[in-house]
Amino acid sequence: MTEWIQFEGREIGVEPGDTVASALYRAGVRVFSRSFKYHRPRGLYCLTGDCPNCLMTVDGEPAVPACVTPAEGVGRVARENAWPSADHDALGLLWRLRFLLPVGFYYKALVRPRSAWPRVEPWVRRVAGIGRVPLDLWPAEREARHHHPDLFVAGGGAAGLAAALAAAQSGQTVVLADEGRIGEKLPPGPTRTRVEELVAAVRAQASVTVLERAPAVGVYEGPLVPVAGEDFLHVVHPARVVVATGAVERHAAFPGNDLPGVWLGRGAARLAGAHGLRLGGRIVHVGEPGESLEAIRAARGEVAAVRGEVVEARGRKRVKSAVVESDGGRKTIPCDALVLSLGLEPRAGLLRMAAGLPVAGAGDVVAPGCSLEEAETMGRDAALGDMSGGQAPGHVPPAARGGFVCLCEDVEARDLAAAWDEGFRSTELLKRYTTATMGPCQGALCEAHVRAFVRERAGEGEASAATTARPPVRPLRLEDAAAGARHPVEQRTALHERHLELGATMEWAGAWRRPETYGDVLAEYWAVRRDVSIMDVSTLGKFLVAGPDAAAFLERLYPCHVADLAEGRLRYALVLNEAGYVLDDGVVCPLGGGRWYVTFTSGGADGAEAWLRDWAETFGHEVRIVNETHARGAINVTGPKARELLARLSDDHLTNEAFPYLRHRAITVRGVPCLALRMGFTGELSYELHHARSESLSLWDALLEAGHDLGLVPHGLEALRLLRLEKGHILVGQDTDFDSTPAKLGMAWAARLDKTDFVGKRALERMAPIPLAQKLVGLRFDGEGAPPEGTPLAAGGRHAGHLTSSRHSPALRCSVALGWLRAADGEFPERVEAGGRPGAVVPTPFYDHVGARLRA
Amino acid sequence: MGLRIVCPNCGERSYTEFWFGGELPPPVREGETLEEEFERVWLKRNVAGLQAERWFHHAGCRRWLTLERDTVTNEILRD
Repeated sequence: MTEWIQFEGREIGVEPGDTVASALYRAGVRVFSRSFKYHRPRGLYCLTGDCPNCLMTVDGEPAVPACVTPAEGVGRVARENAWPSADHDALGLLWRLRFLLPVGFYYKALVRPRSAWPRVEPWVRRVAGIGRVPLDLWPAEREARHHHPDLFVAGGGAAGLAAALAAAQSGQTVVLADEGRIGEKLPPGPTRTRVEELVAAVRAQASVTVLERAPAVGVYEGPLVPVAGEDFLHVVHPARVVVATGAVERHAAFPGNDLPGVWLGRGAARLAGAHGLRLGGRIVHVGEPGESLEAIRAARGEVAAVRGEVVEARGRKRVKSAVVESDGGRKTIPCDALVLSLGLEPRAGLLRMAAGLPVAGAGDVVAPGCSLEEAETMGRDAALGDMSGGQAPGHVPPAARGGFVCLCEDVEARDLAAAWDEGFRSTELLKRYTTATMGPCQGALCEAHVRAFVRERAGEGEASAATTARPPVRPLRLEDAAAGARHPVEQRTALHERHLELGATMEWAGAWRRPETYGDVLAEYWAVRRDVSIMDVSTLGKFLVAGPDAAAFLERLYPCHVADLAEGRLRYALVLNEAGYVLDDGVVCPLGGGRWYVTFTSGGADGAEAWLRDWAETFGHEVRIVNETHARGAINVTGPKARELLARLSDDHLTNEAFPYLRHRAITVRGVPCLALRMGFTGELSYELHHARSESLSLWDALLEAGHDLGLVPHGLEALRLLRLEKGHILVGQDTDFDSTPAKLGMAWAARLDKTDFVGKRALERMAPIPLAQKLVGLRFDGEGAPPEGTPLAAGGRHAGHLTSSRHSPALRCSVALGWLRAADGEFPERVEAGGRPGAVVPTPFYDHVGARLRA
Repeated sequence: MGLRIVCPNCGERSYTEFWFGGELPPPVREGETLEEEFERVWLKRNVAGLQAERWFHHAGCRRWLTLERDTVTNEILRD
């Protein structure tokens, strides 16, 4: 069976065992990318996923290392950062103009006139870089899986496997992760045989979890190690970490070192040995003869093994000859492949970010080129607690004489020299100024060269210390970075299945799943405004506060008066922190007998509980707090016909005299005992029916059935967002910021500074004399279509804030919005523009300004 | 294992089950001056070393606890 890859309009065959890179190479592709800054042609180089040369767009995903990506199952591959094509890239001209683009040019050029940079910036951004994030692709949702082993081992080579085995045999739990399949990179030989023995022994241990194709992307404080697996983002919280990520063949810096046809020894060996591909007709091998040379010799081609130092590689689009200096003098050798086996550099990214943490290295990563036995011994020692396994890489390569030190960011040796002359005289300063080591490889190839460069000038010391590496050390998908951001526990109300049966589109609201709409937002909206509707609001935070000090506690906690509330009343209440900022909002109801019922928003309930309990302890009040959020359901019955509907199901007195606005009553609705709250988030006559969760279904069904001939349509969140916006009600978190005070929100009435005390009072008193620099206001825009939320506001040609909520209002036939407005010279503008649309600052509520409808 | 916290209600758990509530502020006193209040609310000590701090066990008993932790080594000494 033959598989095919679509490559820039061509079909390319795939053979068993192929990576994307080897399949393309077999089909004659030699230029795999264009470089970051100068658009130099780049070919295969390391083949171990360490260099940036083969980062390609694979099935729409940018910056995928083609050399370690199996070709099987891949559909479409394209090269990045080139115009019109990577083979003939017009922007290769930049290399000839490089005298205009010295290191750090963007800090120095285009500073004057100030208008120059904004004009040039979009062009620079288009030209530089690698790949493009596909904005039209919706990323797959990735879940996080947590592990809590005694030991985490990065790398499944001899040292890592020996560490895992020794730890398991001593009774520790272990997670071991390798970025590939264990052993797949090794050519047949004694190393491979030993690794296979070790991995079999490790797999036989029940206390070891082995993760493959799962690179560890960083080491954080904790320690905490994220591992990007194929199925999950594994979040590992080990007590200790052993890094056994091996070594990379040493990158060599000389003029022409980035030409296609220049290979690192292991890369060349892998292509020739594992994939049976031909490197060229005339191959020059420089450095230590070893496994690489044998593998290359086994493939076809004339191989000249040379000892000495490569001075230069010549050629334009690929290497044509190598200049080598040895005892016999300088020789120019024509060739079409130049293979470098100059020794090994530790692949030490994880170690270089783990200073101060219980992390040890073992094997090649601390002693490059160590023997199999030495690697295993180091692994065992590290696993059993010897954390001395060297953190700083030891030796350095010869200082670069020319060529590209950093392939990722196109930093040449002369750039380092120029930066040095400008005064950036340490590894950390050079890194920041030249961006060497800051590319996708995070210094895997170039970090040692930067150190060697500084050491030659400043000697051994702090200036030439290894730089701190930053995660991710391997390319990381955005969905992996976001894994687990979604609460792993999905919360559903008792009515979840009913919503689905009614055709609801569900959306996330915090950890809850809630109906966005049942299909027709406008119909839901008009049902509330003209007839009657119901909504599942079981997600609200619901708490019972009781005990001898309950009244005193809530009085001292909330910014509104609480103790004066007579039984049967209720009051809207803000939740403030000590700095006077709004955290949440809700309602307070005295139930009598020292018991209080308090509610919070759906998203704010978790934080509100922490807030309640923290203050109860801080004040030392004797109160009991019961979280009833999950024990109680709540259904809001709202609309001009809400009373008519409830009267059909309840014998209780529901007249406006018996049960007015801002009161609560215990009523029974079709046999279900409810605590009914008369409020008006939607702006219409409303009864919020709080009840036992086990009764939610029968209550919902009874309301739906009894309301049928009244025009009842249940409404979802989207209709609610429109309804509440017409009333100018804020949504905490959407309309508020982290520094929103009641006064900034236009809600100073909700924080009573005449109270003896409440949380945040002192802060609000301090801020009271300071004139507001910005405030949340209502805005009205004529015409169809509301300016999108987030649109910046302008007034008199100056930035004046932004919109936080906006919708077209069907009832008012205009667009209404809430937004933050900034004062200019102490005055708030009356008229603004949002995306070119003129708008007016107007008082809220927009709809039913006097509130007659909710009091009806 | 990483950072483990012993909750008096639930036992030893990963720190990921907790919300960090910041360093333990000085107690609220009746009649404190504006300056004292300002220092208590705004001026954190941010020590490198032993610190008394609050943690909320959100994925467990949903109660606060106070512990002492070395902010440099993450070693926890309970009070």
